[in-house]
Amino acid sequence: MLSYLIFALTIGGIYALLALSLNLVWGSAGMVNLGLAGFFGVGAYASAIATGAGAPVVFGWGIAALAGVAVGLLVTFATLRLRDDYLAIVTLGFAEMVRLVALNERWLTSGADGISGIAAPMKAELGTGGFNLFYLAVVSLIVLGVWWMLARLDASPYGRTLKAIREDQELARFAGKPVLRFKYEAFALSAAIAALAGALYAHFQSYFSPDHIQPLITIYIFLGLTAGGVGRPAGAVAGGYAVLLFIEATRFAADVLPGLKAVEVAAFREILIGAALLIMLHLKPQGFLPETMPKAPKP
Amino acid sequence: MRRMRMDIDRRRLLAGTAAVAGSLAIPAVGRAQGAPIRLATLLPLTGAGGPYGPVMGKAVRAVVDEVNGAGGILGRRIELLGEDDQTNPEAGVRAARKLIDVDKVSAIMGTWASAVTTAVAPLCWGSGTFLATVSGADSITALPHQGFLVRTQPNTTLQGRKFGEFALSQGAKSVFFLTPQTPFADSQFNNIRAAMEKAGGKAERLIYDDKKPAYRTEVDQALAGRPDALIFGGYTPDTTVLLKDVFRAGYAGRKIAFGYSVNAKLLEGVPPEVAEGIFTISPSPAEGSNAYRRLVKLIGVESPDPYTTQVYDQINLIILAMALAGETNGTAIRDNIRKVSQAAGGAMVDNALDGLQLIAGKKAVNYDGASGPCDFTDAGDIQDCRFRYEQVKAGRITLVKIA
Amino acid sequence: MNAFIQALANGVMTGALLAVPAIGFSAIFAVLRYPSFAIAGWVTLGAFAGWIANTKLGLPSYALLPVAFLAAGLIGGVVEDRSLRLLRPAGALTVAIGSIGLNIIIENVIRFLAGNDLRGFNLPLLPDWRFAGIRIGPQQAENLVMAASIMVAVFLFLKFSRFGRGMRAVADNPDLARLKGIDPKRISFVALFLGCGLAGIGGVLIGLDTSIDPLTGYRVLLSVFAAAVLGGLGSIPGAVAGALALGIAEELALLVAPPTYRTGVGFVAILLMLTFRPRGLLGERAF
Repeated sequence: MLSYLIFALTIGGIYALLALSLNLVWGSAGMVNLGLAGFFGVGAYASAIATGAGAPVVFGWGIAALAGVAVGLLVTFATLRLRDDYLAIVTLGFAEMVRLVALNERWLTSGADGISGIAAPMKAELGTGGFNLFYLAVVSLIVLGVWWMLARLDASPYGRTLKAIREDQELARFAGKPVLRFKYEAFALSAAIAALAGALYAHFQSYFSPDHIQPLITIYIFLGLTAGGVGRPAGAVAGGYAVLLFIEATRFAADVLPGLKAVEVAAFREILIGAALLIMLHLKPQGFLPETMPKAPKP
Repeated sequence: MRRMRMDIDRRRLLAGTAAVAGSLAIPAVGRAQGAPIRLATLLPLTGAGGPYGPVMGKAVRAVVDEVNGAGGILGRRIELLGEDDQTNPEAGVRAARKLIDVDKVSAIMGTWASAVTTAVAPLCWGSGTFLATVSGADSITALPHQGFLVRTQPNTTLQGRKFGEFALSQGAKSVFFLTPQTPFADSQFNNIRAAMEKAGGKAERLIYDDKKPAYRTEVDQALAGRPDALIFGGYTPDTTVLLKDVFRAGYAGRKIAFGYSVNAKLLEGVPPEVAEGIFTISPSPAEGSNAYRRLVKLIGVESPDPYTTQVYDQINLIILAMALAGETNGTAIRDNIRKVSQAAGGAMVDNALDGLQLIAGKKAVNYDGASGPCDFTDAGDIQDCRFRYEQVKAGRITLVKIA
Repeated sequence: MNAFIQALANGVMTGALLAVPAIGFSAIFAVLRYPSFAIAGWVTLGAFAGWIANTKLGLPSYALLPVAFLAAGLIGGVVEDRSLRLLRPAGALTVAIGSIGLNIIIENVIRFLAGNDLRGFNLPLLPDWRFAGIRIGPQQAENLVMAASIMVAVFLFLKFSRFGRGMRAVADNPDLARLKGIDPKRISFVALFLGCGLAGIGGVLIGLDTSIDPLTGYRVLLSVFAAAVLGGLGSIPGAVAGALALGIAEELALLVAPPTYRTGVGFVAILLMLTFRPRGLLGERAF
């Protein structure tokens, strides 16, 4: 049971990083990114390939973040002039593109086999149990660090400018803010965080494949962020952990549903996840830890 | 999984009664007592593998019920747990973690997608949990699994060659292989081509995108060289679409497919003329084996597909290995599975019940199952198996030969 | 040359298959301004409704489309309207994300009730006609005619009916429409009824060529999106033009690019289009 908790907290941390990433583009800058799984995949593959070629793991994580920045800039460049609704569809297509490349460029990614045996840092020295604890600590520290950084950013004039752009792009431009630059920077930083999360995941599991890049995880993170609170880093972190807890808890839903076939139980679990997203949007659209933006004084 | 527990409690009562009533017939097997033995299935119930998982689960459940009904193993009943891997390695790992860490299962059966198996395998060998899979990627048995993994799916070298040889035996000099991007698309094709070229024939291929609603130009390209036979390497949903487009294109040559893709469900879903005459190839036990017929009767499915026959063999083997070991953990299964699957001079059995009786009588057993003889190499691959060649005739899958 | 013409013809036929659900998606977008991910679910529902009508009630082929239209339209209209209506004030993105949740629910309710087994219609499949070495599917030609007539019908409906004028007014300016005494609630229901119903018809057409299972709609979702974006989000004629353009681009690309990248072709086409014409082929005006 303890090892399960350690595992769940590690994955929860990775979800929290993804939620922080999404919160930065969506919550702060108001750009939607349905291609989160794509950036996650880019980071995982970048680090797996780099460390596979002999780079130390920490170096691989750096490369993953840089690859995230590069791809993030590319996607922003291609979509900059698009409205939100176009952006949603294009980013969704982007994730599918990443999956297709990972699946078909066998020389680079080992294709459908995926890359196995990705270096697990310190595993040989620490043993399986020790490694799991060590990795939990590493992931948790990175979550804390990114959270701290983004919370600082959120409270800074920079963060307020991002939110001003979210609220009214034209007004922000009129106020002399370089809207484009802000968008580039926010998207690139967000992509770097998602890519880092992917790299952390790949080295934790020692395996990554094109099948990992399915929209499922993106949907989970949207659910988590919505529940936690869009626009506030603390909400993103809480939401990341909470959504994992919720998804794992639905496994036990079978206990309260006697007499169902296995496929019915599986379908029911998915229904719960979809319903949770809808209910959350209806009842707590601001999440449990809503954004704390000072309201404009009433005239 | 209280549902399963409730089920089993009721069955346990029945089993107890049956054991008392049947104690004369089966003296060695007593009433199931003690903590239950936990085994699990990890099947695709949602996502792309969804068409396969449910019936696989049914086969495992049927065997477990049968064995529990006869008193369980080692005086204990089996508790079967099941999780959905969502055909996604990330979700599959979470499910496996729960099964291993919380439920402490001795073995996990049935992982289908190669990515899920590769992701889950390290957790299994790391925790001493036994893993039996139906995944096809050749790389899986090359993992450092320390014996904790067996695969009942024949590897691609064996299958590719059989496809090529069968096409030749049907008089085809040129074949075209249509396949989605799978871990075995390359090696399968290389083996088909090797078999064809050896006999002076030729083989070409096309790798398609597997989620499309139409494959008209792909089919045009495949038919451009007028191949004598088309070989389909995909799964049921995409093969359905391809077969329809091949039919529309008026192709009259031979068609050969995997038994797991052109299965009974596919035939129900397409007009009869679309699938008529297709040959299918599946791993099979030798002619005259009862295991396949027994499985058909047990689950009430007329033509169970190869994944179902395999997972049926997996549960039977694991039960027998535990009974022989006298222990129920993953290591005991690992150390004993080959002693029940391929014991030299062992009595042939094709189901767990008969095997349990023999083991209780201190006799060696050699399990031959519904998917083949189930003899494993050290790496966990099956050594050899026959293949059942079937053909769709008047909308039904009809046996042509076993060879 | 023949291969090129054949690929072109193939593209038109593949595109025609996507055109009807793309019109449905665009009709919803035109009035309610959000991209509905639930369209995948309604495609699947329509396919299942048609399947039940065909195999359980024994209805002939021409009756399946109205059945699918009504079933997906009524259920989809009521459910999507009710479940997402309250989210609309929060903005299009919130509604779109809500529709992702809704799509998961529809897919799995269908899975819960029907299981994962693949199903098919009890209808014969026709071999292609051949003209001068080019093959054309009779069924696909029908699809094309149908997509064109549905486009014209929807166009006329929106242009000349009272509802249509209301929808157009709501699409152009919801506040003004309200001031003019148009009931936006009713209008949004009609738009959803129409959009989901057309998705349902698309489901039957797609089900004829593929298989019917809980993922029928999901598999074509990205293509439907790509078609709608190519033609211009929210434009009804654009949806048809986009679907045909996407079909042709995909099939032609097969002549030069690896077929496994087929979905990628749509994505690249979108990017190119949006770079040069950010509002799509035919712009965004609905009609």
